[in-house]
Amino acid sequence: MKQNLAYLVSVSMISLLLGIIVTIVIPAQDPVTPSPLARPYTEIELKGREIYKREGCHYCHTQQVRAPEANRSMIHQKGDIGPESVPGDYYYQSPVFWGTQRQGPDLAHVASRKGIGDNVAWHMAHFKSPRGMMPGSVMPSYNYLSEDELEALTAYMLTLK
Amino acid sequence: MFPEEPGSASRRFFYSSIFWLLVPGLFGLILAAFLYVPTIYDSLPLWLKPYLSFGRLRPAHVNLAIFGWLSQAYVGAILFIVPRLTRAKLYSERLAHVNWWLWNLMVLGAMITLPLGLTQGREYAELIWPLDLLLVLNFVLLGINIWGTVLRRTEPKIYISVWNFMVSVIIFIPVYAVGNKIWDPSGAFTGMTDNIVNYFYVHNLFNSWFTTAGVGLALYLLPKLSDKPLYSHRLALWGLWSVWTGQHHQLYSPAPDWLEYLTVVFSILAAVPTIAFTVNFFKTIEGRWHRAADDVALRFLATGAIFWALTCVQGVAQSFRNFSMAVHFTNWVVGHSHLAFVADYSFWAFGLIYYIVPQLVNRPLYSKKLMEWHYWLTVGGMTVFMVALWIAGLIQAQNWATNSVPFIVTVRAMQPYFLLRLLGGLAAGAGILCFAYNIWMTVRQPVAAPAVARPQTVVVSGD
Repeated sequence: MKQNLAYLVSVSMISLLLGIIVTIVIPAQDPVTPSPLARPYTEIELKGREIYKREGCHYCHTQQVRAPEANRSMIHQKGDIGPESVPGDYYYQSPVFWGTQRQGPDLAHVASRKGIGDNVAWHMAHFKSPRGMMPGSVMPSYNYLSEDELEALTAYMLTLK
Repeated sequence: MFPEEPGSASRRFFYSSIFWLLVPGLFGLILAAFLYVPTIYDSLPLWLKPYLSFGRLRPAHVNLAIFGWLSQAYVGAILFIVPRLTRAKLYSERLAHVNWWLWNLMVLGAMITLPLGLTQGREYAELIWPLDLLLVLNFVLLGINIWGTVLRRTEPKIYISVWNFMVSVIIFIPVYAVGNKIWDPSGAFTGMTDNIVNYFYVHNLFNSWFTTAGVGLALYLLPKLSDKPLYSHRLALWGLWSVWTGQHHQLYSPAPDWLEYLTVVFSILAAVPTIAFTVNFFKTIEGRWHRAADDVALRFLATGAIFWALTCVQGVAQSFRNFSMAVHFTNWVVGHSHLAFVADYSFWAFGLIYYIVPQLVNRPLYSKKLMEWHYWLTVGGMTVFMVALWIAGLIQAQNWATNSVPFIVTVRAMQPYFLLRLLGGLAAGAGILCFAYNIWMTVRQPVAAPAVARPQTVVVSGD
């Protein structure tokens, strides 16, 4: 029976170790270079990104465009979901906010949506009153954030080209 | 603080699990209400708003439900079952009490930090670094108690449930450590790898802990309640190859295609142990179904097994790229995760608590009627809840795929389903209140109360 226990432990550990090597370590060896959309964050953008994380924006907004839906007109304008996401887009990000839910629209390329996503005043007004800007929205209002915090968050939004 | 009495730690784990079931349950209802009527949130006082913000309350709901409620119910049951199946005293009752204090410290920490916005920002891996360390320590202590008891057993044969518990802890500890990057206080990797590691962990949180240990619990309770030996002991150990399937949560993602195809293959392979368990379960209960009519614990167990089979069917289907493309990111997924966590693992936990707690406290269960209310409200409510979200998810999937309306229209279309989900959740919550009250009153009764003392209620035997 002692042998069986040793067998159980070793089979579990080998299976786990192989799983880690094959599904984590090997994919991590793929050389990734920053895509044209990725660049190092400035201080204020990084602060905004931390607010995005703290407020859990990624629970309702993905930052991930999958191949079959790339360039669909899904949000407000023609083709505005944007191009397919590639590993290089996330080169400078930790953690990444790929997300698993779209209670709201994908934000991978939000700053490329003309007149809305690239508009500082629109973002500031929308954070404070989502339903004022977009009737029917279920987004909570972020009027409890300070002006500074909202500006940082907006600066981060504008990096999502 | 650390009594030696056998079963005392198990009892405490059950009590605190029930407390921690009520808290995230309430959070879930609040979240459901916010989605249906967002203006409720708008009308809150400004000082309160940060702590009840959707993006902070959601991880609190999830973490308290999985680590506060479900994990503690599992630990309570494991500490009760392992000594019985091995015919040995628990390795250390004191250690189990230390485990209980530290476990609740961790859950309390989660309850405080998450609404404050202290998070690592990775789904299911939100807990900050000190809590990560505490969680790993808790599982190490649990593992010492399980393995220590098994090594001192007087029963030579190790029953399948005990195998499952033993494997579960030794796989889950490294899975959690790697998945949460335990050696780094930020807890996050950089770039694509971060998501790959995140979903390696998320999937194995289900597989190596909730499913592997949960199947062990179910296979303990089933022969007891159906009074029939297990149909087959040669059951494949579920956890072993599911370690490979994490990436099926992120198909068509920027991760390499070969990795996605590999995880799809392993997800299909995972249907084998699923079918083995399902056949085993239903072959064992065959000829004993009439017992489920009277015995709510068995009914919860069997209902959980049916929903478990459905979870696995959905799980395999969702790991196909085209189906994933349609339903991923929709409310379908919210339905699926409640199917797994509530409608099977939690239903099993309800069955276990109804079976074990009266034995631990040496009192009959307070009310059979309340048990029936719990069953019908919670099962009925969750069914409405899940079906509403699956329908909602398919509608979203169709709207996004045909891409003919602006996104906001697809959000507004969710309203009727959000209402149904809220109503289903309220019913399930009412059932859970019946459950908590019933256990509370059971424990408060005098020891071995004579049945005549409560003529208005039907007292059922604890065994």
